[in-house]
Amino acid sequence: MELLEQKTDQCVVVSINGRLDTTNYAILEKKLMDLIEGHQEKILVECSNMDYISSSGLRILLMALKKISSVKGKFALCGLQENINEIFEISGFTSIFEIHPTKDEALKVF
Amino acid sequence: MQIRFPRLRFFRGLAFRYSLFFLIAILLILFFPLLIGYGTSSVLLFIQAQKEATILTEQTVARFENVLQPTELVPQTLVQAMENPNISYEEVLRIARDFVHHDTIVFGTCLAFEPFMYGKENYWYAAYAFEKKGKLNTRMLGGPGYDYFKMDWYRLPKILNKAVWTEPYYDAGGGDTLMCTYSTPIYRNLKGKRTFAGVLTMDVSLAGFASIVKSVNIFKTGYGLLVSQNGKIIASPRLSLGNKNIIDISKSGRGQQTQNAIREMITGKSGFTQMDGLESKRFPSYLSYAPVAKTGWSFGILFPEEELYDDMYKFLKVMSWMFGISILILLLTTIFITRRMTRPIVRLVDATQKIGQGDFNAKLPVRKSKDEVAQLTKAFAVMQDELRSYIHNLEETTTAKEKIESELNVAHNIQMGMLPRGFSTPENWDLFATLDPAKAVGGDLYDFFYLDDDHLCIAIGDVAGKGVPASLFMMVTRTLLRAKTVSGTPISVVMQSINSELCKDNPSQMFVTFFAGIVDLKTGEMEFCNAGHNYPYILSQGGGLRQLKIRNGLPLGIYETAEYTSGKFSFTPNEILVLTTDGITEALNTSNDFFGEAKLAASLASLANRNTKVLTELLIGELKRFSTGAEQADDITILALQYKDSNKQETMGDRTSQIKLLNQVSELDKIVLKIEELSERWNIPAKAVLEITLVLEELFTNVVFYAFDDKEIHYITVDITLVDEHTLQLRLEDDGKPFNLLEKQMDDVFTQTIDERKIGGLGIHFVKAMMKNVEYERSGNNNVVIVTKNF
Repeated sequence: MELLEQKTDQCVVVSINGRLDTTNYAILEKKLMDLIEGHQEKILVECSNMDYISSSGLRILLMALKKISSVKGKFALCGLQENINEIFEISGFTSIFEIHPTKDEALKVF
Repeated sequence: MQIRFPRLRFFRGLAFRYSLFFLIAILLILFFPLLIGYGTSSVLLFIQAQKEATILTEQTVARFENVLQPTELVPQTLVQAMENPNISYEEVLRIARDFVHHDTIVFGTCLAFEPFMYGKENYWYAAYAFEKKGKLNTRMLGGPGYDYFKMDWYRLPKILNKAVWTEPYYDAGGGDTLMCTYSTPIYRNLKGKRTFAGVLTMDVSLAGFASIVKSVNIFKTGYGLLVSQNGKIIASPRLSLGNKNIIDISKSGRGQQTQNAIREMITGKSGFTQMDGLESKRFPSYLSYAPVAKTGWSFGILFPEEELYDDMYKFLKVMSWMFGISILILLLTTIFITRRMTRPIVRLVDATQKIGQGDFNAKLPVRKSKDEVAQLTKAFAVMQDELRSYIHNLEETTTAKEKIESELNVAHNIQMGMLPRGFSTPENWDLFATLDPAKAVGGDLYDFFYLDDDHLCIAIGDVAGKGVPASLFMMVTRTLLRAKTVSGTPISVVMQSINSELCKDNPSQMFVTFFAGIVDLKTGEMEFCNAGHNYPYILSQGGGLRQLKIRNGLPLGIYETAEYTSGKFSFTPNEILVLTTDGITEALNTSNDFFGEAKLAASLASLANRNTKVLTELLIGELKRFSTGAEQADDITILALQYKDSNKQETMGDRTSQIKLLNQVSELDKIVLKIEELSERWNIPAKAVLEITLVLEELFTNVVFYAFDDKEIHYITVDITLVDEHTLQLRLEDDGKPFNLLEKQMDDVFTQTIDERKIGGLGIHFVKAMMKNVEYERSGNNNVVIVTKNF
């Protein structure tokens, strides 16, 4: 898995490339926590190149969402692949997370 | 970065410290002279006081003696004259009375005789004359009511045979006043014998001495004291001492020193001593004393000790005030001066703090003088300039570096883009290749391309060197390979041609080790040429491993005229040809050990029966684990080509697969690769692959994290069985503590709000939601989970 970070005027876009699983979720956890601790309270996670996610990865996203909600920031996901979106649906996360089809659409609401 | 500078407090500043040092120094400087001055002055004052008191004592005693001298001399002369029978008593009496009349302190005289010494009829005869209010009165004393024979003034001279001074007494019926009497014996010659005949007395009023004593003044309250032989106080200005005995006073609760001093005094000695005061309130005092000659009296001067030093204390008080004020002024001046001196430093500190916080244009304070602070400011100004230009340079360099880096990234993308990726091969061939550069751009290359439908060209190379020059050389080689390789041309000729082209324009003397082969996809025959490259490995189905140890010439780019031959190799079914670069064998770990040929061979042997992609990825994984923490020194390139048996039989072995996993999260990769491999073999759709992988990961990590309390190594066995074309069964077995996932409450994932959502439990939810059937049993010491998936 590879993480890319891009700062826009509105928010920080973190792109996840590849597989997010138990072997590497800690990398994402550190990245997101660093951003939040650095008072970056608007984060968009871009998932169009994310091929896989397991509960370890979802856990990190949920943690990030909770932390950001508590400081009244904004946390959203975008560009989920079809199969990944299904995992989100099964987990019930689609009703918790703000999920946008594409990055451009997501950036409009930030 | 925000640097915080603590605010300078006054108590930590130079001004405060300098002032403190000054204060201490001044106090030391002033203290010792003051102390010595005090010591010397008190000694001098004492000596001076002693001298003064002694002189005053002597002077006063002399005054007494002056007064007393005629009082003694006149009666002595008269008595002597009376031994002559021609001198009549009347005459003597007249002279004595005359004297009384004229003398200031003698107020009475008496001529008294023995019984019958003055006429046969006179038992008593004492003619007394005394002065009262300026008039001289006469009276005859003696009689049964005034038996003068028993009185001291008559008795004592008779017994002692000499003139005496009596103790002070109140003469009732005589002088009727407090007085002392000087009494001189009279002798007559009777029958040739000198016989006591009577006395001639002179009465002295004590009031006269009192006025002398009163006139004695020393210090503030010092006073004189005249005492008799027996210690009776004859005269003193202190009313409280009137008529008392000094010995009694000295014994009433006063120290031994006082008693000694009084004893010395009344025994007729002279001296100067310390003692207690004589009044009811006792101050430590000094006494100067001396005897009044002949009378047996003594005179003393007594003064309190503190009065001796009164003036000195007053002086000291004034001095102390002056010192205090001087020190205060000095202190204020010091603070003022040091603050003035440090103010530019404080300003400089403020400016440097700004510089420290990144404001390189902060203005430094202007100093006109040429003192140390000015020099410091100048040095800071130079430093500021240097910093400014240094930062400027740094920014420029960084920008340039970033530019180069982004260009390098572009180069990397181009280089990687040039490598072929679509591994589409005929049914019975399996090809996979990977290149992992050490730096952004590397010197390794691999390539494969079809010459025609039946001929595939494969190549791998390693340019000596790394970075941009190596990658450029690599691109040239690869371009030449593509240009020169034509169907029908022997590979040795192609290599020779590439070599001569590379040698022509090669100013930096670069070269590349190269292996190229042309594979006949129909027959499994390969014609190859190894130009100085690592020997390829051939991995057979059963795990047998050998190397193609043939060299067909020097690396490309060394000699223009170098000769190249070609070799032949025939694939037997299911054999894999593995081409590598030395980035693998020369990979280092943190203790600087090479991965080495032996390890590579062992790893390959253990990876038999896998497809080329899995084999390559597992090999890279092995390598990464080996060199964890160490920097990758060289590009790592692998190209694997397998010739598969086209008429393979489907056996049970193909419908089932087992992986043994350690209880470590890193083992997950094996699951992922295994499922990928099986999905290809069993035609499992992508969505199902994702779900199967996810479920296996959740089940596996669940075991790894929760099943074992010890830190031992455990094995988890995963059996994957293709039940039928659309059904897959997964079976996990572990020897951890019992854990029935079916008993776990399923989270109500759809109704809970974000705060209610617990982290965890989700994995089991996935298993139940994604799998058709979930079973659990405890078999002996083992947990067994069996899940089924339809696709």
